[in-house]
Amino acid sequence: MPETRQAFHDELTELETQALAGLDMVVTALERTMEALSQQDVELAAMVIADDDRIDGRYLEVHQGILSLLARQAPVATDLRLVAALLDVIKHVERMGDQCVNIAKTIPLTGHEPPIVPELLSTLLEMGRRVTQMIEQSKKAFAGRNVELAEDLVSRDEAVNRMHRECFRIALEAGEDVDTREWAMMMLGVGRALERMGDNAVDIGEQTAFIVTGLFREFTDASHPAGVS
Amino acid sequence: MTIPLTSSQRGTETEQAPDQKRRFEPSGKDQATGAGRRVSIKGLSAWYGDQYAVKELDLEFEPNKVTAIIGPSGCGKSTMVRCINRMHEEIPGTRVEGEVLLDDQDLYANEVDVTSVRRAVGMVFQKPNPFPTMSVYDNVASGPKLSGTKGKHLKERVEQSLRSAALWDEVKDRLDRPGIGLSGGQQQRLCIARTLAVEPEVVLMDEPCSALDPVATLRIEELIEELKTRYTIVIVTHNMQQAGRVADSTAFMLTGELVEVGPTETIFTKPTDDRTEQYVSGRFG
Repeated sequence: MPETRQAFHDELTELETQALAGLDMVVTALERTMEALSQQDVELAAMVIADDDRIDGRYLEVHQGILSLLARQAPVATDLRLVAALLDVIKHVERMGDQCVNIAKTIPLTGHEPPIVPELLSTLLEMGRRVTQMIEQSKKAFAGRNVELAEDLVSRDEAVNRMHRECFRIALEAGEDVDTREWAMMMLGVGRALERMGDNAVDIGEQTAFIVTGLFREFTDASHPAGVS
Repeated sequence: MTIPLTSSQRGTETEQAPDQKRRFEPSGKDQATGAGRRVSIKGLSAWYGDQYAVKELDLEFEPNKVTAIIGPSGCGKSTMVRCINRMHEEIPGTRVEGEVLLDDQDLYANEVDVTSVRRAVGMVFQKPNPFPTMSVYDNVASGPKLSGTKGKHLKERVEQSLRSAALWDEVKDRLDRPGIGLSGGQQQRLCIARTLAVEPEVVLMDEPCSALDPVATLRIEELIEELKTRYTIVIVTHNMQQAGRVADSTAFMLTGELVEVGPTETIFTKPTDDRTEQYVSGRFG
């Protein structure tokens, strides 16, 4: 049978493309953020902060597009689930952009030559690399409606969470020097931001599963972790 | 032939004359609070000449629920609904097989009186069709008059029906004016009042709003919501949003067959059958 509502489906596809391109913007922002962190590059950090306006702009654009589509086209079934999922995805894009800003803001505060604990910095940089990969994977899973790939994000997130806990251990053992301890405290904020971004990527994976199955379920339940009643 | 009525049969029927066919009397329910009756379609097939319109269809309509029938033009949804009050057979060359049960009574049983079926199962059509030469009052009164209601009772019945159709306040001062002088939406509510006046158990609506403007449409939809507390309602609609707004259950038909039936929310968020998905999301139709 001939395709009907072509204009509507083109519009929906375009909104998805825009929302997922928002994830590319986040990946760029995160890579720059981690580069700025490793090099103490205050200017690059400032660029990340300024560029967040573009991510916020993308959020507003997609959000407005979705409201308009809902009002005019009344999508149903898979289309409706996609629209609902896109609202979620674009929110995560905006949140992850803000996390990059949170990290970037700490960079000038640590001073020109901070008292770095190498093990803590390298752990954070490794977390950054892994979270970048998770965001890319969440995009790929969503675009391909690949539930298996989406569920795989859980184990990757667990690895990031372990590294986050490791950051605490290293910070606690940072020694007596006040400046070093202060730096380590700030880095715990960075670790926390990265850990949250990993969660955002998992949430996007959950939305992928929602589109495909029609049922929303959390891949892992933070309030009722397995084995704990 | 006399058909003995067993005690299990609902109704207020009394001894029948030997040549009388069995009639579907009101189930004795309180019209203000009573429940509608379940309609069960079993293995229903309908033809126009050699052409199938409905094919071995099974479907149930729950009492006091609104069920919407959706599907592309020519899918057999109107024919199926017209089989429920035995209107399909009025067209020359048509044929019906299968069962339509009102609770446990088969509407197609040989001994059944067709007129009483149409009283028990009322129908509202696409285009408002008030009797053109009759006043507002007579449009509603004509049905109950035929069954012998008169005087004060008739007046009360007319008022009650017009109130139930949410039209009373608009027409109470011009009951003697022609029915066709009302607006399109009012005419349709007049037709609903006319249907309710004979105290049906089931109300069928075949595209009742397709000739109405959006405001008149919403008024009819509000009315449907109210009527379902007393009747079983089946509505055929091309308007998917309307099905979403008014129906508890939605059934999707294609080429004379039932593809899927389920809670309206499920049909419009996660239908089971791919053809339903394609249709409700407008990918064909």
